Amino acid sequence: MPEIDPTEHEIAELGPKIKDVDDADELREMLAFEEDGEDRVPVKTLIEDRIEKVQGDDEETDPAEIDLAELTVADVANMVRDIEDVDVLEDLLEREKSGKDRKTARERIEGQIEAVTGGDEDEEAEGPEYVPPEEKHPDLDHPTNDKQWVEGARDGTYRDMWVYCETQHGELIDVSREMLGKAREMMDAYNADPDEHGAGDDETTTPYGGDEGGESEDVVAVLIGDEVSDLTEEVVAYGADRVVYFEDERLERFRHSPYTEIMVDMARAGGELDGSERDLDWKAYDEPRYTLFPATNNGRDLSALVQGELDSGLASDCSGLYVTDAMISNPAKTGVPGDSKEFDRILHMKRPDFSGFEYSTILCIDKPFRDFHPQGASVIPGSFEIPDPDDEREGEVIEHEMDLDESWFHVDVTDYDTLEGGIDLSGHDVVVAMGRGIGRSPTEGIELGLDLVDAFDDAAFGLSRGVITSSYNFEGHVEQYVAEERQIGESGQVVEPDVYVAAGISGAIQHKVGMDESDTVIAINTDPDADVREFSDYFIEGDLFEVLPRLTDAVESGELAGALAEADD
Amino acid sequence: MHTVVLTKGVPDFREGQVSFDEEGHLERGKTPTVMNPNDKHALRAALQTKVRHGGTVSLMSMGPPGYMEVLQEGMRDVYADDLYLLSDREMGAADTWATAMTAATGIQKLDEAPDLVFAGFKTADGETGHTGPQTDWCLDMPLITHVISLDVDEDEGRVRAKRLVEGDVEEIETVEADLPAFVVADPEFDSTYRRAEHRLKHKDLREATQERADEFGEYLDDDTDTDPDDWDRFTMWNHADLNLDPDYIGLDGSPTIVAGVDPIPKAPSEREATMVDPDDSEGMEQVVGELTPYAGGD
Repeated sequence: MPEIDPTEHEIAELGPKIKDVDDADELREMLAFEEDGEDRVPVKTLIEDRIEKVQGDDEETDPAEIDLAELTVADVANMVRDIEDVDVLEDLLEREKSGKDRKTARERIEGQIEAVTGGDEDEEAEGPEYVPPEEKHPDLDHPTNDKQWVEGARDGTYRDMWVYCETQHGELIDVSREMLGKAREMMDAYNADPDEHGAGDDETTTPYGGDEGGESEDVVAVLIGDEVSDLTEEVVAYGADRVVYFEDERLERFRHSPYTEIMVDMARAGGELDGSERDLDWKAYDEPRYTLFPATNNGRDLSALVQGELDSGLASDCSGLYVTDAMISNPAKTGVPGDSKEFDRILHMKRPDFSGFEYSTILCIDKPFRDFHPQGASVIPGSFEIPDPDDEREGEVIEHEMDLDESWFHVDVTDYDTLEGGIDLSGHDVVVAMGRGIGRSPTEGIELGLDLVDAFDDAAFGLSRGVITSSYNFEGHVEQYVAEERQIGESGQVVEPDVYVAAGISGAIQHKVGMDESDTVIAINTDPDADVREFSDYFIEGDLFEVLPRLTDAVESGELAGALAEADD
Repeated sequence: MHTVVLTKGVPDFREGQVSFDEEGHLERGKTPTVMNPNDKHALRAALQTKVRHGGTVSLMSMGPPGYMEVLQEGMRDVYADDLYLLSDREMGAADTWATAMTAATGIQKLDEAPDLVFAGFKTADGETGHTGPQTDWCLDMPLITHVISLDVDEDEGRVRAKRLVEGDVEEIETVEADLPAFVVADPEFDSTYRRAEHRLKHKDLREATQERADEFGEYLDDDTDTDPDDWDRFTMWNHADLNLDPDYIGLDGSPTIVAGVDPIPKAPSEREATMVDPDDSEGMEQVVGELTPYAGGD
């Protein structure tokens, strides 16, 4: 019976206690208790890490003697990393084959054999050679290379997926929950055993069995603000393994500089790039492997600043994310023109681009002698489902410690007002939406749409994204109606009225997402092949400038003017 | 008061201008380049500052020499005094971080350090919204983003702005900072000219600048004069002028790459549309029949 039974403690209490246990056997007993009892992943990781530390201090296991069957794949991976003798490695490989013969274990040993033997020379022969900038460009004085802006890293260690959880008035905003759910889903797939889970379909996360050493990687939630410690349980319930938070009453409102400095300090703490040489229990890696931010006004700003300060890149406003390998031939990344190189564990970031005309997949990839990590993304609110919270989930909570510099608060927030709801296009009988078909005479097009809206008892006026991103010149009196808050579609509002009138809208799939639940859809378009036809009930093949006024008249009078004229004849 | 406005040329996404190949990919070469629509809001903010407080406006862009025409368009809009183009093969294919480093170096090289730098929100092509904040981070100025209205107090050297905050509820925040500061204008930005003298000043400036922009146009059209620095209000800098190590700019300095571009897939068909000819009263009556139950009362 160990002195501490881990199943009787919360993980936050165990952290400090376990640091006093130096006996590896005692720790193994604790691990067994936990496995038989609560079986919490973070607790097991905590104990295992301690075992590794304790063992590293005293006895070195002799790989020639060790029984491989007793080791997990992760242990095997850790052990072989330090072995440089090919004979010992070959012997291990033989024993693994005749023993449990685990594919992942074999791969780790084979990989090390390759690295020790052939690998080295090949790399030196093919890889680009590092030339210091002052030799490469003697005519320039290299302001960038003096690290004026670039705190570059090289050959760093990276782990985990970090999620910046934005709050408003002391509550998580929905997109924070959506990102936690997506991060959980991706990292569960990422940590899955590749032997049991084959590579998935296109655009899904590859099972890697954890990090390069076979250890699971975590979802780390970041909370910054005033009294954010109230939210730590909630972010764990939505999928975080660990929460790092910093609170200060000066952070009640989002402030660009201090929020950036704090998140960057969290990301660097404990690693070799961190100047302060802090020793953290939970983090020894240099920087996160991945970071996610909400694509809100403040979240997007923060993402750009944090990634810039960490000298890395990001894709903004993503609606699809997955982690898999990428074959890259871009010489800026491979260092060798003409060659392709496989980069593993790359976050693939899909986003609507070019004003919604195309989807681009963005990758953030290291280049020779300059790492671009973390790989960052901001996420469009509403792109992913809010998961069901699991109140039983356990996670580790860490309060980050640092001093705030008064000079970071160089922008004062003197006042703020909450806007009343904005424009809500949902809940109306009818929605009239306009697209780029108004291009011939944009102001008149908007007027005609508004006239039809006015003819109904309860109708709303919406726009396709195409109109919002266009550079039409609208006259003053209609300009107020051309606002992003009237956009219908994937990155705008979702409506489901009884009748939806789509005038001059070609029908991109993002638009369909915003209106497809409408009962009856009436499209007006000059192009009979426009995509909107596929999701319309009526398709009036005609010019909205002629059709809309007739519909308006008909709704106002109760009869179609053309029909009246015919009857009179 | 010296202000700098950053701008960018983008494909013209208006209907009829934008061109796609057979596979549905944007054909950039066949699509004309125009000033990024969102930058007009930054230009308006700079113009308001110039009208109210005087001083000079420098307009700066990074891109191919063809962007000179974008700068000319901007000159008319913002009544700019000087134009700067950071242009070099080495700067090509830059992502936001490499662009930010280049733009920040350009701003630092100006003879007169700016009191205010303005940038627009997203560009119509990349749509990241990152370049403004990242350029600010290189310059280490107070940053105010999503600005919808702006006041400068010259005596106190302060800028006061209202900015939009998104989230589960929308908010308007009032913020203040010392000059020099970096302002990213929101598409909702409103400039105001409450005083008569400002409106008169506005008119004078407009006339003077239209002349200047025409003059630049003549210079652009003059094929016999190929030296880009020949017009004294226009300056072109390459990476050597800026003393920038090419490994840190353009494609080589960009953390991110575009791995693939897919046309947005067509929406799958779930409804069967009844085709209606607007001249066919029977079909139109069917449509009107769907609408009249929701007609407004008298």
